Amino acid sequence: MFWERLYLGMISMSRQNSGKIILGMLLVLFGTGAWVLPGLSGWVQVFAQGSTVIRIAGSTTVLPIVSRAAERFQSRHPSIKITVNAGGSGVGIHGAGTGRFDIGLASREITPNENQRYASLHTTVIGRDAVACVVSSEIFHAGVRTLSKRQIGYIYLGKITNWKQVGGPDRPIVVIDKETHRGTRHVFMHYLFGNSKARAPGARLVTGSNNEEQAKIAQSDSAIGMLSIAWMNEDVAGIGIHEGGQVIQPTLDNVRNGRFPIARNLNLITAGQPAGAVKLFIDYLLSEEGQRLVAESGYIPIHSPHAVSRVAGSHSK
Amino acid sequence: MNRRLLKERLSMFALYGLTAGGGLILAVILITVFTKGAPALSVSFLFEASRNFGLEGGIFYQTLGTLILMAGAALVCLPVALGSVLFQTEFLHSPQLKKIFRLLIYSLNAVPTIIFGLIGYLFFGVFLEAGVSWVTGVLILAVMILPTLHVSIHEAVETIPKHYREAGLALGLSPGQQMRAVILPQSLHGIVTGTLLGLARAAGETAAIMFTATAFSGVDLPQSWTDPVTTLQTHILVLAQEAANPEALTNAWGAGLVLLAIVFILITATLWIRSGLEMEAER
Amino acid sequence: MIQHSMFHEKGPVFWWTGLAGVMAAGTIVILFASLVIESVPVFKAEGISFLWGVDWFAGENYGALPMIFGSLAVTGLAVVMVLPFALASAILTSEFLSGRARLMVKAAMELLAGVPGIIYGLMGISLLTIWVRDVFGLIDGNTLFTAGLLLAVMILPTIMTLSEDALSSVPGELRDTALSLGLTRMETVTKVVVPQALPGLAGAVFLGIGRAMGETIAVMLVIGGIDRLPQPWFNLFAPGQSIPSKIGREAAEALGFDVQWSALIALGLVLFVMVMTLTFAGNVLLRKAR
Repeated sequence: MFWERLYLGMISMSRQNSGKIILGMLLVLFGTGAWVLPGLSGWVQVFAQGSTVIRIAGSTTVLPIVSRAAERFQSRHPSIKITVNAGGSGVGIHGAGTGRFDIGLASREITPNENQRYASLHTTVIGRDAVACVVSSEIFHAGVRTLSKRQIGYIYLGKITNWKQVGGPDRPIVVIDKETHRGTRHVFMHYLFGNSKARAPGARLVTGSNNEEQAKIAQSDSAIGMLSIAWMNEDVAGIGIHEGGQVIQPTLDNVRNGRFPIARNLNLITAGQPAGAVKLFIDYLLSEEGQRLVAESGYIPIHSPHAVSRVAGSHSK
Repeated sequence: MNRRLLKERLSMFALYGLTAGGGLILAVILITVFTKGAPALSVSFLFEASRNFGLEGGIFYQTLGTLILMAGAALVCLPVALGSVLFQTEFLHSPQLKKIFRLLIYSLNAVPTIIFGLIGYLFFGVFLEAGVSWVTGVLILAVMILPTLHVSIHEAVETIPKHYREAGLALGLSPGQQMRAVILPQSLHGIVTGTLLGLARAAGETAAIMFTATAFSGVDLPQSWTDPVTTLQTHILVLAQEAANPEALTNAWGAGLVLLAIVFILITATLWIRSGLEMEAER
Repeated sequence: MIQHSMFHEKGPVFWWTGLAGVMAAGTIVILFASLVIESVPVFKAEGISFLWGVDWFAGENYGALPMIFGSLAVTGLAVVMVLPFALASAILTSEFLSGRARLMVKAAMELLAGVPGIIYGLMGISLLTIWVRDVFGLIDGNTLFTAGLLLAVMILPTIMTLSEDALSSVPGELRDTALSLGLTRMETVTKVVVPQALPGLAGAVFLGIGRAMGETIAVMLVIGGIDRLPQPWFNLFAPGQSIPSKIGREAAEALGFDVQWSALIALGLVLFVMVMTLTFAGNVLLRKAR
């Protein structure tokens, strides 16, 4: 704004007052110096040393495991630095394919389209998860504990628009969709409509990360959404899915024994076979300790059958 | 006459009412940031690394990241801005060319920042192969704040009295000496205020760097040219999306308060320098 | 005749400034050219109907109309909401405040104009969306209206201070004459000062709109993020999407490749053209006013 006014000749500046300018600069320097000085010395040292960097990005479902693992891994391998970024499964797969990242995180499988574009993508499964259909706790407590696949589908298509149509209170449904490249959406839409790219004309909001979706559902008192089971909590309740005459609850046990219908692998995507530091890190994730982190993050480890069995949602993020 | 008086009274009332309303809204915003952010602040919040996805710990590296990006941008931008000003004032003689030059710089100022992010990534991230890194962020922000610096410096150089330069020439100064002895010292205030404002603009920017320069976790200080950083702006963005979690919100407001303080210090310094100048000009 | 330029010889100073000058002036040209070139693929794939297509699904369809509509809607809303406040405070400051008070107000506005967009975004997502939902009895508070309201607050200082500049640049003699003719102070303002300053005021508003249209972060967090025209189209309490918000949400995925990237760049081009038109109109008006 100052710029515009100066440009338009609304204000003008004349000769300087060097005392004030120097004082002003000092003020700014002291204000920022507190951070710059300790940082700078460390920075110079590190820059001189150099290190291996593993760049990781993608699914916000896989992200908590990898962030936790990266923290532990780095304390044991100080010369390897791991940066982790969110963005979604699409970002992870594209990033790995194009070399922008060393490891892409994906909470869905690589599509044929993506496989075609990036020939050498390699997938390592590090855990299993399920996508639950979740509702605001108010709706859950008002009695909507289960929905059938057909009902959820109709809600997303906009054919059911009020909770009373499915046994809830007389309140419009706030249908929450996700950005189209998100892994959670692929898996969920594939379950509902047999098409991972199905449109959801009934949607009211579109969110990105698991965190964002969780927050929007918690802030609302009449929302429905799709969420990794690790994100369920007291404000965001997972509902049972009514299928074939029985109700299947979104619990880790039901995912483990294969009954819950919307399960998925948590994948690490690399361009070609993992090698070097990347392999070291992936091996760590597959080790007993790494798999324990998978369980701690609220998911199902793939290699350790003795992993703690507990109800999904008890884990607080 | 009575109706006129009534009308006068009423419109004055409306004027004060609306102004008070606007002022109140802005005051509420500042008060909100301060009251919500203050509880988060502590020495450990300012100087510790963040833990557990920003829910615990502090914002040390985020603050550093913001400072690295803004300082880097100003450092890269300053020589270009200074050079382009001198090009405009000393080299371009035709008024038409000067006008076109002004127009081009002015247009740059109006470009929405997200576009700098898009095209900047293409140039610095892809062509220069810097990827998602602090270097990409610095370069994008440098381009973004170029007009801010340019016009402040331009204003200052433009108003150097003619006889200063003539005196320099009469003394037989070479161009380099002329620049060191006359032009730079005489336009110092423009350079300083422009840089401060540029820093403030860079510090407040999120859209241009959120997908080009920053990472979510595992970042402390960049250890090579192609490392991403983490910044206050993007940290707040991530935490804001967890708005239903009180811990996340508290830390987001705390980070917001620190960011606001950085920006306000820079703008206040500018205003302060300028107020001195204006008073001197009135004398 | 003394040569006033210090550039009569082509020393290092000449090359430095020349290079810098070309870089500074060339940036906008390169920016525009890249936007045009990079958006070619999507226009090839979708044709010109990209501009009025209503369906956007990455990998399948790219239609920009919901985003264009959303951008226009939120900025339009913001301007309508901010104008009374901005103009009233500008008039009060310029015509009724003492010199010192005026400087203080202006300084405060400069400061407020610097508040980063992410702070407004945080405020929007944690307070405003809930407030809008409860006050207007909506099922959800992430709407075009919320985004417009947030933008209105954001551009208040900018529009206020630019309008104030336009008002104070009206010569004092006009006011004295009007007052001596028996007009009240308020009549002087409405019948003499404001009409005189009108081009300047319009310019201020245009610049403010341009600024609002390009805002990304604050809008992105409260607009709802859905690429769809509201039903009916004037229902602004419905969620929507603006151009910068769309780019902000999808850029990380598309970065540098494919038709999707091209579509985002084309959105950027549309935004660029809209903002530039506004800025130049505002600029011309403001210069004419002086």
